Amino acid sequence: MKAIVFSEDGEIASQMVNYLKGKAEVIASTLTEEKEKCIRAGAEKLYLLSGIAEPENISEAISEIKNATGADYIFIGSTANGRDIAGILSAKEDMKPISEITSFEINDGKATVTRFLYGGKAVSTEETSATLYVYAPGISESARAESDTPTETIQLKEPSVKPESEEPKTSGGVDLEKAKIIVSVGRGLGSKEGLGIAEELAKKVNGEIAGSRPVCLDYHWLSEDRQVGLSGKKVKPKVYIALGISGQIQHIAGIRGAKTVIAINKDKSAPIFEECDYGIVGDLFQIVPKLISAL
Amino acid sequence: MQYIDGGSVGYNIAVLIKVIPDLEQIKAASGTGQIQIEKVPLRLDILSEHAIEAAVQLKEKYGGKVTGFIFGNNESIPLMKKAYAMGVDEGLVITGYKENNPTLTASVISEKLKSLQFDIIVLGNQSADTYTGLLPGMIASKINARLIGNVLSIEIEGKEVKARKSLEKKIEVVKAQMPVVISVTQETNQPRLPPVMQIMAAGRKTIQSEEYKGQTPSYTLTKSRVAPKSERKKQIFEKPEDGIQAVVRVIKEEAR
Ligand SMILES: Cc1cc2nc3c(=O)[nH]c(=O)nc-3n(C[C@H](O)[C@H](O)[C@H](O)COP(=O)(O)OP(=O)(O)OC[C@H]3O[C@@H](n4cnc5c(N)ncnc54)[C@H](O)[C@@H]3O)c2cc1C
Ligand SMILES: Nc1ncnc2c1ncn2[C@@H]1O[C@H](COP(=O)(O)O)[C@@H](O)[C@H]1O
Repeated sequence: MKAIVFSEDGEIASQMVNYLKGKAEVIASTLTEEKEKCIRAGAEKLYLLSGIAEPENISEAISEIKNATGADYIFIGSTANGRDIAGILSAKEDMKPISEITSFEINDGKATVTRFLYGGKAVSTEETSATLYVYAPGISESARAESDTPTETIQLKEPSVKPESEEPKTSGGVDLEKAKIIVSVGRGLGSKEGLGIAEELAKKVNGEIAGSRPVCLDYHWLSEDRQVGLSGKKVKPKVYIALGISGQIQHIAGIRGAKTVIAINKDKSAPIFEECDYGIVGDLFQIVPKLISAL
Repeated sequence: MQYIDGGSVGYNIAVLIKVIPDLEQIKAASGTGQIQIEKVPLRLDILSEHAIEAAVQLKEKYGGKVTGFIFGNNESIPLMKKAYAMGVDEGLVITGYKENNPTLTASVISEKLKSLQFDIIVLGNQSADTYTGLLPGMIASKINARLIGNVLSIEIEGKEVKARKSLEKKIEVVKAQMPVVISVTQETNQPRLPPVMQIMAAGRKTIQSEEYKGQTPSYTLTKSRVAPKSERKKQIFEKPEDGIQAVVRVIKEEAR
């Protein structure tokens, strides 16, 4: 099998290359700006898309790559634009799609995938003849090959959706997927001021700060790239410390890869206690300071 | 701008609404862990509710008409009432939905949209049950409309739509000419809770329905659908002092 991988995020594109190596002949593609993150991912060839990039003209370029290489499979990283690109490609190229895969195996041309359904309540194992796959970032690591991949640049066509301006999202440039220890906070923090104590703990254990969706998305106590869960990052630290997080299934979906989960929550019946290795029932504002001084 | 219903000026807006099982009520069978969704009550997909809210707000601000579409089955029909109560003017339920098959859903809905000449089509960026996220691109492509995905806010001027797109690392402001397909994110708005009067009025409105009689070509075979296994130790301490001791030990061990 011959597969094209694309993500406008070079790191995600590299992860896909590494994940598919040994299963397929892999051709990578990303945006020119992301070249450095992808040039040593270990693909057979790297296509760099240059110009104003919108899902519409990116999907056209991927179609071009498909024609040029005769690839029969396409893998797209699941990002906001990535899913739009996958949708367009699926319709244009008449390729059957499958979304948010968390694993992919292929035997005699028959693929088996797993993915979450029902908001993370179910893991579905499916046998499929789909040829277009949307890859859930973070299910594998990227690797670094010995040498650079040969590249070719494709000039993107003028899109009909015109970008006018952009604002950066506040981000600390964190790489939560790579963190060894994560201190994660939920609505139980009460207010942004509550963050101080969590940050102190994170510093003490040399960890990164993360949060549940309300904390990142609704209240903006943390930047969005620190959201853990089904619609956020899938993390796999050695220790994940959940402070004031109830442990809804969508949050749990992001921490299944953690080796040890520690939870502090004042509600004894919080679902997080079903999904942790060590749990302390109590007020985080009383427990965390004690924990810090005991460390 | 178009003339709608031979009189009022405004935009012809479509909103795509998915009916899904109430996720909160889905249980796994004890023992096998098999997920059971039979008999789970239905509700509107939360992202579809955000889409309805966005469509109705556009109508309220710029004038026009909102038509809701559900590709579902007979049980889905009454759920259109909630969309009416939220401000959707007309609704069509296409029955005959069998399983999650984005390709089929996109083509069934696109066929309808094509014949009706919409200016704006609003939908969710990822439905809450299957998390597919493919319909926006598929529909835009099939009806040959511009796609503006994952938007936070929308403004209209004449035939031009300007929107803020929420991407992972940035917010991008884009412009496009109608017809446009717009997918909304959860941050876009807060879906309204319709007042009782509106709910009652909605109950009296007719809901059109028709059946999709074509095939459902399946390309995926589900082998199993089980609750994710938790192999966590679940040592819970109700005395914080004991808990702190245990936790300190673990952290020191792992952080080495
Ligand atoms: C489609 C979809 C996708 C989603 N994706 C995600 C996702 O990626 N990530 C995510 O996190 N969520 C996601 N969610 C939301 C998820 O369902 C929950 O709403 C969310 O995880 C709850 O966040 P929380 O635990 O911070 O808040 P809450 O559920 O409100 O929990 C707060 C907890 O803090 C405890 N608490 C309060 N005060 C204290 C104190 N002083 N000390 C100790 N404990 C205290 C409470 O007992 C409670 O358990 C998604 C939802 C949907 C529908
Ligand atoms: N069967 C359906 N009928 C109507 N609208 C749908 C249907 N499935 C998905 N949608 C719409 O498409 C959005 C994205 O869904 P999906 O691509 O399936 O994740 C949803 O939030 C709905 O607005």
